[in-house]
Amino acid sequence: MKSSCFTRASLSSILQPVFSPRLKPSRPIICSAVPPKPQTALYLRPPAFRSTLSELRKWYAWAKNQASSVGSTFLDLDNGPDSTLLHRELKWLVEDALERPDMLSPLNSGDNYDDATPVSMRACLDDLYKLWKQRIEERRPFQYVVGCEHWRDLILSVEEGVLIPRPETEIIVDLVDDAVKENEELRNGLWADLGTGSGALAIGVARILGLGCGRVVATDLSPVAVAVASYNVQRYNLQDRVSVKLGSWFDPLKDVEGELSGLVSNPPYIPSEDINGLQAEVSKHEPRLALDGGANGMDDLINLCNGAASMLKPGGFFALETNGETQSKFLVDYMDTKMKGSFYGTNIASDFAGIQRFVTGYRA
Amino acid sequence: MLFPNGQFSSCIKPLLNLKPPQISTQTGNPYDQSHYNYSEKMSSLILKRSCNNKSLHNSFLRINLFTRTLFSLSEPHFHDSPIPVNNQQVPASSYAFLENKNNGFCSYFHGNWKVPIPYDCNFVRFLSSQAAVEASTSDGLTVEGIIANKWVIHDENESDWRSHAAAIAQSIHLIKKRLRWKKLIPRLKILSEELDKPDLWDDPARAGKISREHGSIMGKMKEVNAFEQELIEHIDMIKLAREENDSELESESLKALLALRRNIKEKELEALLAGEQDSCSCFIEVQAGAGGTESMDWASMVMQMYKRWAENRGFGVTVVDEMPGDIAGIKRATIKVDGEFAFGYAKAEVGAHRLVRISPLDSNKRRHTSFASVAVIPILGEGFSHVQINESDLRIERFRAGGAGGQHVNTTESAVRITHIPTGVTASCQNERSQNQNKMSAMAVLQSRLDQLEIERQARINAEHTQSLTDINFGSQIRSYVLHPYRMVKDHRTDYEVSDPDSVLQGDLDGFILSFLSASLDKNEEDDGI
Repeated sequence: MKSSCFTRASLSSILQPVFSPRLKPSRPIICSAVPPKPQTALYLRPPAFRSTLSELRKWYAWAKNQASSVGSTFLDLDNGPDSTLLHRELKWLVEDALERPDMLSPLNSGDNYDDATPVSMRACLDDLYKLWKQRIEERRPFQYVVGCEHWRDLILSVEEGVLIPRPETEIIVDLVDDAVKENEELRNGLWADLGTGSGALAIGVARILGLGCGRVVATDLSPVAVAVASYNVQRYNLQDRVSVKLGSWFDPLKDVEGELSGLVSNPPYIPSEDINGLQAEVSKHEPRLALDGGANGMDDLINLCNGAASMLKPGGFFALETNGETQSKFLVDYMDTKMKGSFYGTNIASDFAGIQRFVTGYRA
Repeated sequence: MLFPNGQFSSCIKPLLNLKPPQISTQTGNPYDQSHYNYSEKMSSLILKRSCNNKSLHNSFLRINLFTRTLFSLSEPHFHDSPIPVNNQQVPASSYAFLENKNNGFCSYFHGNWKVPIPYDCNFVRFLSSQAAVEASTSDGLTVEGIIANKWVIHDENESDWRSHAAAIAQSIHLIKKRLRWKKLIPRLKILSEELDKPDLWDDPARAGKISREHGSIMGKMKEVNAFEQELIEHIDMIKLAREENDSELESESLKALLALRRNIKEKELEALLAGEQDSCSCFIEVQAGAGGTESMDWASMVMQMYKRWAENRGFGVTVVDEMPGDIAGIKRATIKVDGEFAFGYAKAEVGAHRLVRISPLDSNKRRHTSFASVAVIPILGEGFSHVQINESDLRIERFRAGGAGGQHVNTTESAVRITHIPTGVTASCQNERSQNQNKMSAMAVLQSRLDQLEIERQARINAEHTQSLTDINFGSQIRSYVLHPYRMVKDHRTDYEVSDPDSVLQGDLDGFILSFLSASLDKNEEDDGI
């Protein structure tokens, strides 16, 4: 087998999860150091590596076998992935790693190509073995393995230190879409995505607002997140409409107080004590900073709620993701009683699983 | 009126000076420049001759007054007019319905009724003014006449003009039949009347649909009529060339005839796919029948067969939805097949497919019979009207909803199932990498399913479309694949069979598909004849 590898440095940065210490979100951070350089997702790398079809098939058979051997072990253990899902992920890994993924398609299992057929790949064969081992043995999230997540119609780069955007969160963009269709004035205003992570919501919202209309400011406390979000914003050529700022929640937005037309956020909302019981992909690999919402998970939601009252202009729209029914109801009740008169039209929207996931409303 | 054709035409000779002057000039392929030269040459030859031979001139340009008179007098009853027919012996097997019915009597129109040749856009006005002109050679030979002559059809390589002409005439007949020619004319009339209404464009969507259908029918009729005209011209040329002893012209004409024969043979196939949705892309759905793992394994073999078939045909194939079986195979799967005429071909596969084999999954090596059902759904393009779907009528679910979701769960599983509550129709997709894409894919499937339901509903209302997908019962067994004790694949609708199941399972399905399509369009339906 002939194959050359990535330089050691870049390889090790792909392979090793980054654990960043938990930072108190309330503490403002001033970071003047060189921003971290985001990694390039597997599918975006050049197909610079060669192997033969037979070597690749060996890897594929091994990987399939690994996936099958999991059965429902992870599912029973901590609601992790089962074999079916791992097989699907393996297919996606092949799609991302090979220049011509169809070479491994069952349709070509016959005599179409002989064993010596050269195959172009975006990672060397050794790395493919390592990556799949990490997926199965270390439970490294698939999205970190391939360095990207497909979210709505976007492909966002993600890496250790950045929360992988969840499918549920896609709905916030739809809620914004509904809101700006109802009130076109909102489309032209300034929006904020707080705790942007990969930049998913900021990019999604900017594309909903449309060209030449409103602008979005995305903030995050994590320098890695800011770097990755900025990178994703540039990938979608939105740098003129989305600016990414480092800092806690509203801190970078002091100069636009009372001017926001809209505010979206998927803040940490999991109660601290629940974190360790989560599936290994989340608890062992994703940044705690993006998950832990304090004792009852409401710390940041309440903080955002208070901030929204001062940052939004009258008629401004907000949409927040929560842990589910309990938090959503608590939040609506908090707004309608404790912050009486600050908001109107508060509403709870469900995700596709029927969980009361989102709280929306307008600044009075 | 009880005159055989020949006698009749001689009776009307005195009236012939009334004929329109334009009969044989504007025909043939406009893109074929050489053809124009050829036509010119022919016209001059004919003119030259006609100066010498008045009677030839007359019969060459004769108007088929017979048709014209009947058109005006008996249009409502012409099907019933019992007219004796000269030497009525019908050749090709596809003609069997005439043979059965004749017994010396036959509706003259089944054989000879002619449509005027539409060379202007007011075709229907032309038609209703009853200036029906029939394409015929200088000595009165018509396309139907050629068929009636029962000339032996030889291989293409034989340079026999009669053989070529007979083959072409039969193709024309077959194409007309496949196009439901007889129904096209009244349909065109209705559409033209609609197009003439001043309020037509009050409903632009409907207007667009009408004008599209009108244009499409016009196009088909023009094309067939052009073929008829071309055939007649070539025959005239050959006859004239012989009389003039112009061997160069004769061989040139013969070549032209052969080219026409080849060209029209291809059109026969195209005419098989003349249905309104035939050109669409489609979804193919395979569902395992009762019988557990054995059937699920069979279902995945069937799905694989279609994937290969579609790829071999050059269609794009994407898996939309796939529910794996517990041990092997699939419970259900949907693929999207992208490409022109994907639906036209694939619709022939709707029904239950039966497998008989010694199961590799059975340690006791017993023989098993399994079933898989196939459904095919057209994906209507932009030109079609779609069923409006209200968001409020939809129930959208994460497929494997469970657990707390949100930040608790990191899963690449983003399957979506959409239920259209009023109809109970569901669609799901879990193959895409984002929930949004899964939802959009599932919505596309749902839209197509609802569109298909609507098409079927309208087909039931509209008796004209009796021959539609509704005839094919989803559950009816259409084909058997026997691997043991003998090896054979047999289609129960057409009796088409193949003794090599492996090639069929590798996607070699065209033989089955084409034989079914031609059988279903060419079957003995007198009402749909010509």
